[in-house]
Amino acid sequence: MQALAVVLAILALSPFLWLLVMSFKTNAEIFRWPPRLFFPPTLDNYAALWTSEFRTSFANSLVVSVASTAVSLVIGVPAAYALSRWTTRAGASITLWILASRMAPPIAFTIPYFLAYRYLELLDTLTGLVLIYLTFNLSLVIWMMRPFYDQLPRSLEEAAWIDGATMWQGFTRIILPLSGPGLAATAILCFLFAWNDFFFALILTRTDAMTAPVAVVNFMNYEGWEWGRIAAGGTMIMLPVLVFSFIVRRYLVSGLTGGAIKG
Amino acid sequence: MSTLRRRTILGGALGALAAPAVHAQGGKPHAGTTINASCFQTTYFEYLKNYFPQFEEKTGIKVNFTMQAFPVYNQRTDLELSTKGSAVDVCNVTFIYSGRWIGAGWFTNLDTFTRDKKYTPAEWEPQDFVGGAQSAMQNAKGETFGYTWEAGAMIAGAARYDLIEKAGLKMPTTFDELIKVCDAIHNKDNVAAFTADKLHHWNWIPYLMGMGGNVFKAPPENLTPTLATPQAAKSAEWYANLLVKYGPDGILSYSDDQSMRSQMSGRANIRTQAITWMVPLAKHAESTVRQTVRYGLMPAGPDGNFPGSNSHGLGIPAGSKKKEAAWEFIKWALSKETVSTVVKDHGYPSVCRMSVIKSPEFKQVLTLNGQDVASLFLEVLQLGGKTGYMKYRTVPVYPQVGDKINKAMERIATKQQAAPEAMKQAQAEAVQDLKKAGFKVDG
Repeated sequence: MQALAVVLAILALSPFLWLLVMSFKTNAEIFRWPPRLFFPPTLDNYAALWTSEFRTSFANSLVVSVASTAVSLVIGVPAAYALSRWTTRAGASITLWILASRMAPPIAFTIPYFLAYRYLELLDTLTGLVLIYLTFNLSLVIWMMRPFYDQLPRSLEEAAWIDGATMWQGFTRIILPLSGPGLAATAILCFLFAWNDFFFALILTRTDAMTAPVAVVNFMNYEGWEWGRIAAGGTMIMLPVLVFSFIVRRYLVSGLTGGAIKG
Repeated sequence: MSTLRRRTILGGALGALAAPAVHAQGGKPHAGTTINASCFQTTYFEYLKNYFPQFEEKTGIKVNFTMQAFPVYNQRTDLELSTKGSAVDVCNVTFIYSGRWIGAGWFTNLDTFTRDKKYTPAEWEPQDFVGGAQSAMQNAKGETFGYTWEAGAMIAGAARYDLIEKAGLKMPTTFDELIKVCDAIHNKDNVAAFTADKLHHWNWIPYLMGMGGNVFKAPPENLTPTLATPQAAKSAEWYANLLVKYGPDGILSYSDDQSMRSQMSGRANIRTQAITWMVPLAKHAESTVRQTVRYGLMPAGPDGNFPGSNSHGLGIPAGSKKKEAAWEFIKWALSKETVSTVVKDHGYPSVCRMSVIKSPEFKQVLTLNGQDVASLFLEVLQLGGKTGYMKYRTVPVYPQVGDKINKAMERIATKQQAAPEAMKQAQAEAVQDLKKAGFKVDG
């Protein structure tokens, strides 16, 4: 059974391994026929990334993803808590409307966003990208965090209020620490959405705010593709996600399933 | 009366103040202007960027030139142009979109500039641009919306001509000869006989026309698709067979770069493609076939020879607010002197100025492995210009119709459908696209 699991894991990871191996080859080696299992590895592709505009784009991706994730959590988590504790019918319909930003494919929003951004002079700015990802991530945060708060007994914060805590103190000192796994899972999904986005970064940026996924495509020149750099860029793009997932892996599984069973 | 007097005095004072400023520009009316220019990643502009300081010194215009990957550029520019934005002052008129972009009125009519001596001196000579290449930059009335910097001319290239010679044969000049050569050399020395990329709507059409077919009835006037004809079905089946029988494994998913690399690495032999992807076989440092490559004209079919030709040009978006400065840039970037310099200094092979193409420097650049490829290049460009058979490629709906052709070819090559059925389906889908776009279709 274990052997089967290892085989399946290798199969699932083979595209990534192939990409990784390719990133250490020269273009000539990549297209060598028949391919060689052992070859002299090169770091030229990675070095070339660092002397191209990819470096700035990589930094842009980091800034935009971290900022949009942080702002989404700062706004979305208290909103999810409030909606969880709000016992009117309006609460349910508001929660549904919050999903509206996810009800249509991104292409449907392209022209309105593009025109609005041009008018607001937000095209090709990091602020513009953070705002876009915020609009999409906010619904994710609220919809993921609300079930967590639904399953936490109200008596916990009520006890804190009796001891003299304010509502905000009850939320930050009692409720928030209990929702760690949920926060970790939500944060990683928000980060992934912003980090991997290609479409909005393609449409709403030019050069200054270009993110890493778009920069990688720019290695596909008209007269020829730079395969080694594309592979190195792809590997670099995977890296922060792997690191981030590794750091929060303890919370990830419980976070993703935690809100699924109520009561 | 007193107001008028004050205005007159103020106007006079401002005029007096402005006069030295104009004089200080030293005949540079656009000094201090910054223009934004954009194109897809290409070597022509990589080379040209080296000379931007000369332009900036000459005109006082600063150029902010950005390049993106081909699909990224087209996507962004389509959006920018369709919303009549003013973010870009000069941009590439991409061949495959030229009909749509020009037809929709998204570019500035450049005749305004070329016909006025104030803007363009006679020696700039717009007529010096190759006619066939320029036709993609014009509308049905013959007005010009772009000037070409790149002309692609489809030729045949055999990466391992030595294998053809060894078989006692020569470069194929007809479709029948192509099959004969492929039969003789396929898999000899582990080299597949033929290679191509998955853009069948570009690669297959010369074979379609060579067998008496066409994409549309009479483009650009009558855009009724003619994909369900017996000629189209026969040609599609023939071409799909060429790919599957003589191509390397995975050929149906090859990008144009992968196909070029298959030749450069000596994995595949013959390809019919634009010269831009053929020159690296003889010149690229990573090419393993530099000593064995040989070029020829695209093989002819029973109905004639129709090698594909395309072109990309520079135009001024209709929304630009700096049109005169933008024209100054185009005028400089595509002047005989600049084009000639790029050819001489960097060996750029796909220029559109006839005077440069006929120059000894260009001939030297396109003498590849001892063969005069410059004359092949010119022959193809003139062929395309004479009969206008490339007009199918610049109609506004060709991107959509081309997509249907690609899918039909895949269905035939993978035996999912027989050629007549696949082409019939492509025809029906193309008609639907045309009707949706508001075009009249016969029958």
